[in-house]
Amino acid sequence: MNLNNKYFLIYFLLFFTSVSFAQQTKEIASDSTKVENLDEVIITATRTIRQLSSLPLPAQIISKKDIKQSNSVRLNDILNEQTGLITVPDFGGGEGIQLQGLDSQYTLILVDGVPLVGRSAGTLDISRVTIGNIKQIEVVKGASSSLYGSEALGGVINIITETPKNGFYGNANYRVGSFNTNDISTTLNYKKKKFGVTTFFNRYSSEGYDLDTSDDLKTVDPFSNYTLNAKVTYDFSDKTDLLISGKYYTQNQDYNASTTLKGESELNEWNTHLKLSHTYNEKWSSYFEFYATRYKAKDFLNNEDGSRFSDSYYNQLLIRPEIRATYNPTEKNAFIGGVGFNHETLDRTDFLIKPEFNSPYVYLQYDGKFNEKLNLILGARFDSHSKYKSQFSPKAAVRYEFNERLSIKGSAGYGFKAPDFRQLYFDFSNATVGYTVLGYNAVSTAIPKLEAQGEIANIIVPLSEFENELNTENSISMNLGVDYKLSSEIKLGVNLFRNNIDDLIDTRIIATKTNGQSVFSYYNVNKVYTQGLEFNASWKPINQLKITGGYQLLFAKDKDAEKAFENGEVFARENPSSPSFQLKKEDYFGLYNRSRHMANLKVFYNIPKWNLDTNIRGTYRSEYGLLDSNGNDYLDTYDDLVDGYAIIDFAVNKTFYKNYQLGFGIDNIFDFTDTQNISNIAGRIIYGKLNIQF
Amino acid sequence: MNTIKSIKFLAILAVFIGFTSCDDDDSTPLLDIETQTIANLHAPQSGGQGQPVSGAFAKFSFSAETTTTSDTDWDIAFRGTSIIVNGGVSLGTADEPSRTGDAAAYIANGTMASVTDVDTTLFVQDSDTGYAIATGSGNGWYTYAGPPSHLITPTPGKILVFKTRDGKYAKVEILSYYENAPANPDAFVDATPYFTFNYVYQPNAGEMTFE
Repeated sequence: MNLNNKYFLIYFLLFFTSVSFAQQTKEIASDSTKVENLDEVIITATRTIRQLSSLPLPAQIISKKDIKQSNSVRLNDILNEQTGLITVPDFGGGEGIQLQGLDSQYTLILVDGVPLVGRSAGTLDISRVTIGNIKQIEVVKGASSSLYGSEALGGVINIITETPKNGFYGNANYRVGSFNTNDISTTLNYKKKKFGVTTFFNRYSSEGYDLDTSDDLKTVDPFSNYTLNAKVTYDFSDKTDLLISGKYYTQNQDYNASTTLKGESELNEWNTHLKLSHTYNEKWSSYFEFYATRYKAKDFLNNEDGSRFSDSYYNQLLIRPEIRATYNPTEKNAFIGGVGFNHETLDRTDFLIKPEFNSPYVYLQYDGKFNEKLNLILGARFDSHSKYKSQFSPKAAVRYEFNERLSIKGSAGYGFKAPDFRQLYFDFSNATVGYTVLGYNAVSTAIPKLEAQGEIANIIVPLSEFENELNTENSISMNLGVDYKLSSEIKLGVNLFRNNIDDLIDTRIIATKTNGQSVFSYYNVNKVYTQGLEFNASWKPINQLKITGGYQLLFAKDKDAEKAFENGEVFARENPSSPSFQLKKEDYFGLYNRSRHMANLKVFYNIPKWNLDTNIRGTYRSEYGLLDSNGNDYLDTYDDLVDGYAIIDFAVNKTFYKNYQLGFGIDNIFDFTDTQNISNIAGRIIYGKLNIQF
Repeated sequence: MNTIKSIKFLAILAVFIGFTSCDDDDSTPLLDIETQTIANLHAPQSGGQGQPVSGAFAKFSFSAETTTTSDTDWDIAFRGTSIIVNGGVSLGTADEPSRTGDAAAYIANGTMASVTDVDTTLFVQDSDTGYAIATGSGNGWYTYAGPPSHLITPTPGKILVFKTRDGKYAKVEILSYYENAPANPDAFVDATPYFTFNYVYQPNAGEMTFE
């Protein structure tokens, strides 16, 4: 155990030599005296390395060890098992993450500190991320726009990938499972003196699955994808080093819209990341960072006779240069500040124009330890934007340690999400059904055009309402937590959270068409809140056994809907043919797709004698609503709700001759599926795994 | 709270009116108000789904408490999901009866119990641009669920308030569009259009309440 942890820290030291040298020495100094308390470090929360346990913010680390023992292959697999996180299927087939009850479009997804793009319908499909080369996953909850700007309204998930370590070695992995799902990956690592390189290759393919066999379409069509990742490091000196990282991802999938319309979809993504770090002295260090990423998706459908029915494409580019510096005037005070520029373009079918966003930004954060007990973080960021009102995002966090066992932490921050390209410039008419969706800025030109073509029957929202800007969605988030170490074996943590979101963007009907369909557009309407409680516990009675459990209680509600229920304006029926009655305040269920209760329980057990590790992991989510089934426009307790469910996974891994590992497992042992409501749970998955280290 | 208050107020008002009318020896005693249920009022239509609609409306008279074939003595009439009143002018679809009375309608939000008085300012009549009870899912009395269930269900909390052809008032809550009003209708099995509804008719001229 101790060795592992030391190794872990050394790794991080190598990776982050660029960060505050003074702080590092301090961290090590304090840690190495009590090795048994040596603790995981996190960089996402403050953009400096911090001990997870002393952080004043709610955060969580998923270690490589846990990922390996769980035999997870994609990011969605492992995130689904964490407290308060759940992946929600999107109608586009993607899976986004829900965090503190907020939709996936409000959680920023980073890889090594820089963002992934490609939210064609708001959701970032996290199943596109392989976790074969991941060092750890960091999850920070609560608005983090003070460091990360737009999208970090609910929180940040940062995927930290492997960097070169000394020596030459590698590994190869193969996992085969139900639905003819194959995952192959290999890593090669070399580092000697100043130069280091690591490469990673992954191929993931599946035949897909079909939950509803009564129709001719599969729930998930067959696909295969490849991930290629290379990282090069060069240490010019003790004080200066360079990191260059490149990643390429491509996926090809069958695309069947009906029995007669068949085609293919293709995704291509590349990322390049360059970071030059320099330490000037004990107090100052700086980095220059350049990041560029492109996400391209295209698909087509052909008619039965082979002629083209439809073509669509999506091509997004993000370029971000950033300079930041850390300054540590004393051991107890740390500053980090940065200046950067976001340049973003999108070329997409059904768009009015080829839009371009430019957004310079600046941020500053102070991290002060006043004494052994009190830690304060103050930060703020200013984002200027070529299309929206500028945003100022402050944040404050404080932690007080009563004693070694008990500490309390609280934070409050502002988060925002700028309207995306789609919410502004979409100009889409469905070819088969006939409805139209218009971006907010597209309305004033598209409606007169439709009118001239005689397609508009009635204008419901006058064009004058689209003269002002669409506001950015924004939130005030608050977290209050208590950590308590009952003993060295038992750790407990509770966090209360509340997110108040204003100007939530929703769609509404702005006009009716002569074909009987509607024209939709976006508008700021809702004020919603999510609040609740998160509880985490871990118990290590003996070295070989680790038991962890988590629970989230969640209330996610629309304030206007709450008022409508309070005012007695909402009605329901016991069944569709019985008389209506008035609903009470407590009958309001809340926002769609939110479960009041979510829980997980994991038991990891090692048998060193046999070189064997095994685990059982269970997750539970309580009932939730997907649609208003009784016609009153609100989700209430009389609607048809999706039943709660539990999923239990089992895995066992055995190591042979040190370098060979065989794994076997069953995900979703009891073969839970819900054909009607849950498209991303395929059923029982039985798999085998082989891992070779060399 | 507000509805409870207004119910109390109306109850007191009714008692008060009762007392004052008792003082007046010439007044005729008030007729009883009853809640009635009409089951399986069959109202077929031809055409629809993009085609011109046609077919005779199934007419209903509140005072007669039943359907009628009279050209004049009807208050409301049904065809498919459409409900018309005997007041105003025809929308111009085939087989629409001519309006001979002074009927009108509006939709109140509430339950049969909570809609206790008539707001005459809300009444509208059928016109050549639309019916008093608007057509279409979510606009009038019903919600169409779309695929996969394709159910047409009465929107909860929608009470149809009518002025009859001769100026009296009635309130209606539609319960089902399917034959025999099954508790859980199946659009692929149960026959339509068969209206089942509860109504309260105020037979006393000039009475603006249902209590």
